Amino acid sequence: MIKVRDLTVTIGGTTILDDISLDIPHGHWTCLVGPNGAGKTTLLKALLGVREYSGSLQDNDLEVFRNHRRNVAFVPQHPEIPSGMTVSEYVALGRAKIDGWGNESVSSRTFIKEILIQTKLYGMHQRHVSQLSGGEMQRALIARALAQEPELILLDEPTSALDLHHQISVLNNIEILKTRGVTVISTMHDITLAAMYAERIVVMQDGKVLLSGAASEVIHSRELRSAFDDRIDVYTLDSGRPVIVAAKDDADN
Amino acid sequence: MQKIRSERKADGLGEIWNWKITASCALFLLFVSILAISFGPIHLGFGDIVKTLLGMKGLHGQERTVLLDLRLPRMILAALVGAALSTSGAVYQTVFRNPLADPYLLGAASGAGLGATIAITNSGGNIYGLLPIFSFLGATLAVMTSFFISGRFFAEPNTLLLSGIAVGSFATAIQTYLQQRHSNALRPVYNWILGELTVANWSIVSWSSMYILSAITILISVSKKLDGLLLSDEESFSLGIDPNRLRLLAVGAATLATATAVSASGLIGFVGIVVPHLVRGVTRRVTNRSLTTIALAGAGFLVLADLGARSILSPAELPIGVITAFVGAPFFLFVLRTRRMSHS
Repeated sequence: MIKVRDLTVTIGGTTILDDISLDIPHGHWTCLVGPNGAGKTTLLKALLGVREYSGSLQDNDLEVFRNHRRNVAFVPQHPEIPSGMTVSEYVALGRAKIDGWGNESVSSRTFIKEILIQTKLYGMHQRHVSQLSGGEMQRALIARALAQEPELILLDEPTSALDLHHQISVLNNIEILKTRGVTVISTMHDITLAAMYAERIVVMQDGKVLLSGAASEVIHSRELRSAFDDRIDVYTLDSGRPVIVAAKDDADN
Repeated sequence: MQKIRSERKADGLGEIWNWKITASCALFLLFVSILAISFGPIHLGFGDIVKTLLGMKGLHGQERTVLLDLRLPRMILAALVGAALSTSGAVYQTVFRNPLADPYLLGAASGAGLGATIAITNSGGNIYGLLPIFSFLGATLAVMTSFFISGRFFAEPNTLLLSGIAVGSFATAIQTYLQQRHSNALRPVYNWILGELTVANWSIVSWSSMYILSAITILISVSKKLDGLLLSDEESFSLGIDPNRLRLLAVGAATLATATAVSASGLIGFVGIVVPHLVRGVTRRVTNRSLTTIALAGAGFLVLADLGARSILSPAELPIGVITAFVGAPFFLFVLRTRRMSHS
């Protein structure tokens, strides 16, 4: 269990996360949703251990700040793309924590090859990462996370700027991680997709957690509407799946 | 070992480290070193050189002095400075995620220039006593100031880069003012800025080798981890690196090597850009696993450039910076152009 207690993050005098308390169970996919500026990415970085905070943030009873003992993979929304590095070198970086930097074992290399095939990157593995399209780059990031064999993976908007086809492909790859027992925490703008894949949803607004619970309950909650200023509509398809869309206010006309 | 190698080939992921290129660079360095100590106004035979170096009866008299007190320390100093500048350049390019970063980026050149100008304008004759110390102090102080004014020791690369530019401009302004006030110092300062290895002796070789070799050893020992600095700080943290600490260590060691090189030989430009790009172009690897190869290639490149500097107008000498810039400037434009093309 990841236990967040009275967590406050202040950057340059501005409070980004305001006294948050939250439990995130292991082995599930938890999705952080909320409008821009709600503090989702900051919470993700605090969970990674790179953001200074007051209060307590414990993963398996270990305080996470600057703690290198955990094996956490991080997939940023805007990654630094090292020009000149090939796809296989990039994915191999995921083994650094396990084998030591630049010392991939033979078994690791076999594992990397399997991952490259699984994420449909084998065949373009000698290309430079700077030459990849947005969807391919996102797959390379997920492949590196798979190579890391993490206990926890944190993804910041993994589907933003991708077409629907690539969104599904990336989300399916994340599901592979989950089936391996990895705890997944992601932020996502598309609440419909969040409801489709995540088991738990945390609704955030203005640095606070409005609600946290099972996806099916949160989707129909008053708090979710409130986080988006009552400007969303929730429909249920014949299949029983919810669809969340922006509500067009008559007053806007 | 054989098994590992064949499995690596079989998995289709390519060789991680190409020892053949490293060995070629070592042979290149050996070859140009022999050339450098053989050629000059007095030609020395290869057999005699080997005998002398092995302590057997070889060269004697003036020829022996030329070999042991002039050419050998000069060749070693050129190799040390070349290795220092190219390794530091490669490290700076990684830390600042900028392919055109050079070892003088954080104000080391301007700081050393100011230190040298102060030494020259205040020495009253014997400039070579104070010059290395002052330029070393100037370079290290400038880089430390860049770190300091960028807010804190663990600064973001871009903030650090900008404060380096500001410190550099400030030091250059003071240097220009001093030169205007002491016009007799213009020529020696100008010569020093263009880089020179004519003053090489065993004393300079011994202290500079101590600093340069320690710095290069540190950099090579962390070279594999340096790949992590090509990613965002969050990503490198998740892969087990403390990016701030590694950046400080890398920049510190690279600055020690650069400051030592500058104080021993003046400002020799472009080595720090040309050599890392050339090696990476040949190995087709951006990764810092090739740092040893870059150090060997840099050493060889500068020994060869120095040979050119003292041979082209022999018996007169060209400043070595002219040779490196002559090769470096067109190469710099080539890198810019290919980089722009690869982005378009």
